[in-house]
Amino acid sequence: MTYVRLAGVTRVHGEGATAVHALKGVSLELDVGELVAVMGPSGSGKSTLLNLAGGLDRPTSGTVHIGEQDLAGVRDLAALRRRSVGYVFQDLNLITSLTAAENVMLPRELDGVRSGRARQEAMAVLAEVDSADLADRFPEELSGGQRQRIAIARALVGERRLLLADEPTGALDTRTGDEILRILRARCDAGAAVLLVTHEPRYAAWADRVVFLRDGMIADTTDTPLASAR
Amino acid sequence: MSIRHGLLALLSTGSRHGYQLRVEFEASTGATWPLNIGQVYTTLSRLERDGLVEPGESDEQGRVAYTITAAGREELARWFGTPVVQSDRPRDELVIKLAMAVAAGRADVAEVIHKQRTATMRALQRLTTAKRAATDGAAQRLVIDSMIFQAEAEQRWLDHCEAVLKEES
Ligand SMILES: Nc1ncnc2c1ncn2[C@@H]1O[C@H](COP(=O)(O)OP(=O)(O)OP(=O)(O)O)[C@@H](O)[C@H]1O
Ligand SMILES: [Mg+2]
Repeated sequence: MTYVRLAGVTRVHGEGATAVHALKGVSLELDVGELVAVMGPSGSGKSTLLNLAGGLDRPTSGTVHIGEQDLAGVRDLAALRRRSVGYVFQDLNLITSLTAAENVMLPRELDGVRSGRARQEAMAVLAEVDSADLADRFPEELSGGQRQRIAIARALVGERRLLLADEPTGALDTRTGDEILRILRARCDAGAAVLLVTHEPRYAAWADRVVFLRDGMIADTTDTPLASAR
Repeated sequence: MSIRHGLLALLSTGSRHGYQLRVEFEASTGATWPLNIGQVYTTLSRLERDGLVEPGESDEQGRVAYTITAAGREELARWFGTPVVQSDRPRDELVIKLAMAVAAGRADVAEVIHKQRTATMRALQRLTTAKRAATDGAAQRLVIDSMIFQAEAEQRWLDHCEAVLKEES
């Protein structure tokens, strides 16, 4: 069952002579329970693709569907994102004035979950990424890899059905990176759809399908689903 | 390729007969290094000749358990204590194929790279699936990890080739 569908998507930043054609007609479907990895050189459009798939940005042309909904017709994209989409940003985007636990609780509280319950949920996902002991620290008191895990916990909280992760293993050593992929994979096997951007082949290999972007287009893909992947 | 030292390492934790050695050797190398029982016995008899192991009495089923000797333990310690030499790599067909395609100015170099990258990624996916399924302990997983790192190096090299060739064209 398809959960996310991008059809003929283009994205042009700016206008006229300085226009950047970040995506030039990309079609991609992501099934429930599927992990798709996106690889490609710097500037090839990976983050742009992820932003469009999660409704953080709108395409110049083409359509994006999440579930049954055409995002072009959704007024409150922020609400849809909070309910359905977990996002790990390339630059992490943790709020420096909040502790790790508060950062993780935030999307739930914005969604109207009471703070006691939000804290419980936050502690559960922090434990899942092996960071329960960091709950009360502020981002600047954490190492790069620790911050990375908190950002991942924030994306996992609240059982969101679509996870978008932009280089979630960036600052991690390979053993910890594998651990993060194991967690994303488990979410997938539990029914989430995961779109992962990575420049590291070892992490892309956890995916059911790997898509290679070049200059805003899909250059090749390991399309035939692996019979032995599950 | 030291089957000798692999068997000595297994025997250093207790006596075993040939069949057990074969099973445990394969389990700890993640079945990536299959041994036939003939190789095990040939190796054991050489180890015995060199005084590194000793055969015991055969049991009622005719199986002989081997025990490591003091000289065997010494040899094993020497092996673990010596780094492996980065020996001359066997000629790599992929490297030759790409070098030849570039040198001959073939138009389909990019295509060669694309095809290979997809194939290598598939191999990497299969290895990762095997790693996720590996339950026989850390030794087995680490052997698979080694192959993952090698496949990853090839993948990175292909990306690098593509970027360099794009620059030159
Ligand atoms: N807001 C923006 N305004 C103008 N150009 C942009 C904007 N965002 C992205 N771009 C351009 O779009 C292209 C694709 O950018 P994108 O961030 O998607 O690349 P990427 O594949 O994620 O790269 P990296 O691996 O470096 O993160 C680049 O040329 C980039 O400069
Ligand atoms: Mg990016």
